[in-house]
Amino acid sequence: MSDIAVKRSEPIALKARLNEDWLAVVIGLLVFGSALVSITGTDLLGWAVTTSVYTDAARALSPFAKAYAWLGGGGALLATYAALLVVLSAGVVTLGADVKKFAAGFTVVFAIAYASWILGSYAYIAAVTPAEQQKFGIAWSLKLTNEGGFIVALLTGLIIANFLPRFAEWLKEAIRPELYIKIAIVILGATVAVTAAGRLNLASSLLLRGAAAIVEAYLIYWAVIYYISRKWFGFSREWSVPLASGISICGVAAAIATGGAIRARPAVPILVSSLVVVFAVVEVLILPFLAQTFLWQEPLVAGAWIGLAIKTDGAAVAGGGITESLIMAKAAAEGIRYQPGWILATTTTVKIFIDIFIGIWAFILGYIWTNYIDKGPDKAKPSEIWQRFPKFILGFIFVFVVSLWLAVGSTPEIAKALPAAAGEANIFRVIFFILTFFSIGVLSDFRKLWQQGFGKLAAVYFVSLFGFVIWVGLLISWLFFSGFKPPLAS
Amino acid sequence: MPQPDLKNELNAAVEPLLPIEKKLIGWSLGLGIVLLVILIAINHFFPIKL
Repeated sequence: MSDIAVKRSEPIALKARLNEDWLAVVIGLLVFGSALVSITGTDLLGWAVTTSVYTDAARALSPFAKAYAWLGGGGALLATYAALLVVLSAGVVTLGADVKKFAAGFTVVFAIAYASWILGSYAYIAAVTPAEQQKFGIAWSLKLTNEGGFIVALLTGLIIANFLPRFAEWLKEAIRPELYIKIAIVILGATVAVTAAGRLNLASSLLLRGAAAIVEAYLIYWAVIYYISRKWFGFSREWSVPLASGISICGVAAAIATGGAIRARPAVPILVSSLVVVFAVVEVLILPFLAQTFLWQEPLVAGAWIGLAIKTDGAAVAGGGITESLIMAKAAAEGIRYQPGWILATTTTVKIFIDIFIGIWAFILGYIWTNYIDKGPDKAKPSEIWQRFPKFILGFIFVFVVSLWLAVGSTPEIAKALPAAAGEANIFRVIFFILTFFSIGVLSDFRKLWQQGFGKLAAVYFVSLFGFVIWVGLLISWLFFSGFKPPLAS
Repeated sequence: MPQPDLKNELNAAVEPLLPIEKKLIGWSLGLGIVLLVILIAINHFFPIKL
């Protein structure tokens, strides 16, 4: 043991995570509920800002609804910023955050992140098809789609983290990628439901295949990585459990949950988590482009692969979004226009299925550790399953079920109006994605990898991820999803 | 939060795998492979419906 002799780790990290989960549910439902009001004819969120691909910057921004056109692009941007600032500031108060620091930090985070998004929509970066290039009068483009803005936001965050560490530290209060992505996932329930309603058979088939992800992550990945860490690299049990969980299951949440379950010292899962975030960034920068190059003819394989290979909810779901854009762009260039939403829905389904079992896996490990390895009075309790359950998933399921019912079980008028309402909510989903990408970048201090001893941890991660996780994930995604394409856009 | 001294910890004596750990690894892998085979069979007999 080192200078940290603490044996119990759960209280602080676990409590904060649970609060953040519920906060994400509340904010996600607020956005979803407000968007649903538009079904009645009253548009509460039409002022939200959207960004189009542009060559003339003055035309980049506009309000979502024509009824709010009088606001103009700048007005819509300010209104969106102000609304998010008020809601999120009120929200983080419940997490015990310093609201003044948060407000100041969020203002800068929103400004830089959205500027990155706008930059990513510049036609030379975003235009995909020859028709689009012609429309904008340009001879070439990077063809990253307008979601290339996610990559710009991530790179901007990385620059700040690695070259402006004091500025990154100042922003810290507003750098909350887990909160942002959880809100986005709750909102995403509406889009996934609207997408699924059009093809219920395909959607239910995807759900069945989500089970394969659970088996793979918990039973195969975890066991192999734990063995590699213990046997090949000589790590202790205390390090190996969070490390195996972080690499195989769901990054930060799993490392913290299972670290707490085996009563590891608090710093151990936290250090592992920082490693997970750094590797997730590397994956987000590489895998979507590999998927576009090699899997564009198998879009659902690509979606599932991203969900299985990229750890942390934020990076995985955001990576699914980029992959969808890139593959749809490539397919469009070949004359195939897929219905949007299916690749991202596949990534999200896979990720959510994996997340659901974190609490159960943590309990199983906690039971084994407290009864057979570190025997003591502090035994694992079944109630920990619920304590560690990622509550934001309940928000996603609720939004999904309500939206699906509105789409297929209500009146034709409501079903017809629902996609527009879901689209309005989706504006905020995209904004929370942007904030997530930027925040992940700001948290990714690559210098940590050079810290004394950290290289060996990174080596386990590297060997496991690139030698095993990515390829087994690809094989299983291929076995379950190959040959099946998203529906074509009508 | 104090940081663990990684270098010293990694130089500490290696903890051998306990029988319970071997059981956990073995059962996880075995169960995982069996379940995967079952799911692949289900996937084969009930393919994705468009």
